[in-house]
Amino acid sequence: MPRPHIEPFVDRDVGFKKMTLPGFKNGIQYKMLSIDKDSGACTMTVQYESGFKQPPGFSYTEMELFVMDGHLMIGGKKYVKGTYIFAPSGTHLPAMSTDEGALCLAFYNFGPPTFEESDADHDKADKSQSLKMLNSYEGLDWQVPTLFPQTAPGCLLKILHLDPKTFGMTFLYCMTPGFWQDNISYHDVAEEAYHIWGTSWMMQFGDLPTGGYFYRPAYINHGCFKSDLGILAIGRTDGDLHNYFHHDPFSTPEENHHRAAAKLARMKPALYKWILTNEHNHLPHDFEYPDDAYNTDGYDSGIHMHEDGTSHSHKSSGAHSHITAPAKKKKK
Amino acid sequence: MTLGSTTIRGNLRPKMTKDEAAWVKQELAEQIDRYKKIVQDMEALAPQREKWVAEFLHRIQTRGFHVHAAIRRVIPKNEVRPRDGRPIQVVF
Repeated sequence: MPRPHIEPFVDRDVGFKKMTLPGFKNGIQYKMLSIDKDSGACTMTVQYESGFKQPPGFSYTEMELFVMDGHLMIGGKKYVKGTYIFAPSGTHLPAMSTDEGALCLAFYNFGPPTFEESDADHDKADKSQSLKMLNSYEGLDWQVPTLFPQTAPGCLLKILHLDPKTFGMTFLYCMTPGFWQDNISYHDVAEEAYHIWGTSWMMQFGDLPTGGYFYRPAYINHGCFKSDLGILAIGRTDGDLHNYFHHDPFSTPEENHHRAAAKLARMKPALYKWILTNEHNHLPHDFEYPDDAYNTDGYDSGIHMHEDGTSHSHKSSGAHSHITAPAKKKKK
Repeated sequence: MTLGSTTIRGNLRPKMTKDEAAWVKQELAEQIDRYKKIVQDMEALAPQREKWVAEFLHRIQTRGFHVHAAIRRVIPKNEVRPRDGRPIQVVF
């Protein structure tokens, strides 16, 4: 996970920059929220200026777009605020334009932003997932999270996208006015979020207002939580989200990682024992996805920033790196 | 690997062009500056955070700790792990 811990960051404190990457048309400005050193994958606030026009085309990397304000015309149809777009790699979008401009969040998931003019999909486009364009404000209902343990009453979700293999998800969430949750949480996965509107508070980081953002690697404490007037936000995880709640404000990511492993041993002893004793040195084979390869680099608990923009671990977390970067099995 | 999945997929052109590599390098340099500013800001918040932590520890021993959804449990003093001089590091 070469993205470092960026928390909190408020994009309203910085100005927009002109997008200069080749391929993109004039009229795009952006604010970088976080970027992956190795792949260039990134999350950005993007302002499409009024009068912006773009021909049909695709991104080489999987891309998500969320319209926060204004509108986009895509293929002659108007997409207003609340629109969520998921485009698998190489999947082309129709011509895009905007008269009034549009303020969006853009997520380039596996590489830097790219735009290749084309009125057809790339011949190697990812067909395992489909292009999705939906109005999340009008087309989806708020739901109570079905996680166990669950967040306190008053935190509601709309699931925008769920990765079928990892259960990583993109979602809207809100906190109702007066929301409060007196526990400290961490997860096994990275999490990022952007406040579309409103201010919430966390004991570690203080207030996160409108335009507030975080990218938080696994096992980092956050909470307790509250919001006086409520919030609307978009969040993402890169794996199955489990809430580990506790009440030790001083625990470290390494301790949290140990605690998570202890919980696995308690709750799934057969799996825990199997991992320890059988397929110890390489990733287990999945008959459902036999050709998959995985990259678990960075999924440790000592993650922190270095001068060259990398993060890595120390101490006990290294003990879990033996499943990192297994060799991909060749097809027989 | 980044948000979206641990699975290696989703990029049809994994090798960056020269322009892209230069753009990423510039963005990374700015990200490091943002990170340093965040660390400074969070260090400045430390005295206030100590008060918030004390208030949290008091609330969970009086009003209760959110175990699951609306279920709360008052934490007895002997279940509160002693601090023993441990610092609060919030940015990693």
